[in-house]
Amino acid sequence: MAALGGAAGHGHGAMTTTLRRISTALALLAGLLAPHAQGQRPHRAGLWIETGGGVGYVRIASSGSTTVTSAPGSVSYLRFGVLLSDKVLLGVENFGFVDDMLGFFRGDTSSVAETWSFTVVVLWYPWRSSGLFAKAGVGASQGTLTVTPPGGGSPVTATGTGVGLTFGLGYDRKISRKLALTGCLCADIAGIGDVVLPTTRIDDMIASIYHVTIGLTIR
Amino acid sequence: MAVLTIPFIAAAQSDSTPATPLVTGRPLRAVTQTVILNVAVNRADAWVFGQDWAYSGTRTWGRNLRVGWEWDEDQFGTNLMMHPYHGGLYFNAARSNGLSFWEAAPVAFLGSWTWEYFGEKDRPSLNDFFMTSFGGIALGEMFHRLGATIRDNGAPHRTLREIAAFPLDPMGWVNRPRGRNATLANPPEHAPGALSLRLHGGARFVVDSRLHMSSGTPTLIVDFGYGDQFLQPYRAPFDAFRLRAVLGDRGLNALRASGRLYGPRTRRQHLFLVNQRFDYVNNAAYRVGGQSIEGGLESHWPLPSGWQLRTEAYLDAILMGGVDATTAGFGKRNYDFGPGGGARFRMEFGRRGWTYFAFSAEGDYIHAVSGATADHFLGYGGFEVTLPLGTSIGLGIHNTTFLRRSVNSDRPDEIRRFPELRIFLTWTQVTWPRSGVPQATATAP
Repeated sequence: MAALGGAAGHGHGAMTTTLRRISTALALLAGLLAPHAQGQRPHRAGLWIETGGGVGYVRIASSGSTTVTSAPGSVSYLRFGVLLSDKVLLGVENFGFVDDMLGFFRGDTSSVAETWSFTVVVLWYPWRSSGLFAKAGVGASQGTLTVTPPGGGSPVTATGTGVGLTFGLGYDRKISRKLALTGCLCADIAGIGDVVLPTTRIDDMIASIYHVTIGLTIR
Repeated sequence: MAVLTIPFIAAAQSDSTPATPLVTGRPLRAVTQTVILNVAVNRADAWVFGQDWAYSGTRTWGRNLRVGWEWDEDQFGTNLMMHPYHGGLYFNAARSNGLSFWEAAPVAFLGSWTWEYFGEKDRPSLNDFFMTSFGGIALGEMFHRLGATIRDNGAPHRTLREIAAFPLDPMGWVNRPRGRNATLANPPEHAPGALSLRLHGGARFVVDSRLHMSSGTPTLIVDFGYGDQFLQPYRAPFDAFRLRAVLGDRGLNALRASGRLYGPRTRRQHLFLVNQRFDYVNNAAYRVGGQSIEGGLESHWPLPSGWQLRTEAYLDAILMGGVDATTAGFGKRNYDFGPGGGARFRMEFGRRGWTYFAFSAEGDYIHAVSGATADHFLGYGGFEVTLPLGTSIGLGIHNTTFLRRSVNSDRPDEIRRFPELRIFLTWTQVTWPRSGVPQATATAP
């Protein structure tokens, strides 16, 4: 019935860098959204594929504790699929998050957190003349924590596999007949069960990752 | 019995059924009703029932948004039946406001999400979100269609029909046209064409292999088939579904259903289908349930003298399942949650609406992500024999077995077996499309 050790502590510099990254990504996203839809056909046709990356923020929670461990990191994704209708797309998504400075107590940055998910996603474009879309999906996820034991020694890796959910809002900005820039403000939730580490045991771990991404879409 | 036969009367009076919905899409009204529903349920729980968890406010909202998801410790029936029913109300707020199945699905997610974050003092529960959203979509669509079938705007004795349909689809009652907007027409879901209802009343005997004990209880089984995969090409999600409800010593002991999400738009002998499943089994011997999506092949084999053979083979992905075990659970909860997968096979042999013999086998795997550090392997199978004693009365014998093997990482494995025998009097009523030939029986999974 153990829980997380405590809130993560990160250096002020790392946090500032991350905030700067997030601000830059948001500014880029805003730039994409600013020029209003120019009547272009917004979304994809036939087989489409999209890949990109960005920045994210993970919150790791567990059963029996109200304490969360949180940390920034980087994300990447690959998404492809087909059209179900003019407004609805069906696809699969592989999403990954990595943070190599996770800690379970103040000042600790010795752990590495990774989550991967593989989900079936639905993209819904409510307006035919706009590139704005909502995304939702469900699938499997895997979380890996690599921890260096206190006092040194070889890093220990613990992995959990479970269920994954993804939600978000995005925007396609056409840059050529076949290409578009795609921004997304999304959340991925990974319920990956018990993870046992040398210093702690995380029961029923849930990692919630909030992220901003920019990708290239071949549509 | 009278209430349950109403759908057949309704189906027989299908002349007033238009091809388009009676209500045009009102998404804003659907979302508003979802919010009102959450507020009403929350206030009723707080003020009427005095539930501590319902006293949520800005402080708990902030905490929930900051801390995020957890797994809750509620009872099996609450999590795997009541939450899906609650989700069905959100979904049907949208359906009864003219939104399609796919347009209504996000409303179920929205209602579930807002309830989890703002409707309870506790932290938002990931298992509730799965059960309320996916279970709500499955139960909601089936209850929406059942409610529409029971209600008949052109028939006399509408009050009785309204009372019968209300528990299934209260939001449909809230939003149905009234006063000057009232119409004698029925929505397209009112008359699906093929309908089948089979009631089995009798005794059920279950044995627990570990406790070496058996118990017998009076039981009523309701098998309901709405639409037919072979007679009717795919038009919309859940235009064909099958449902089995078991009523016994604990009230609702089981509700298992499978609805067609996608299939071919032409009539074929072999169909590749994608279904959404809803499973809830909560009896004195074992508890298992969850939300899943399955894809597979259904085939129909005509035989001489009007006999029919029908086979189903499916692979399924369990989005979120729940299963009890001796070592399972967390805190006050004594069962595990987790995703998984499985396969099932079913064969039915029958004639003229009667299923004389049915065989089924199903295997599932649930990887616990909340509760014990365990993997659960589940097996369910058996046969059902029905002997007609007249045009609609028959004698039925079911022999099934539920098996569970729980592989624990930190405790010994556990194997349990629950054989079950049912002896029933069976009453069957089947309605087929006027233009169709009764080619297949429709029995619950």
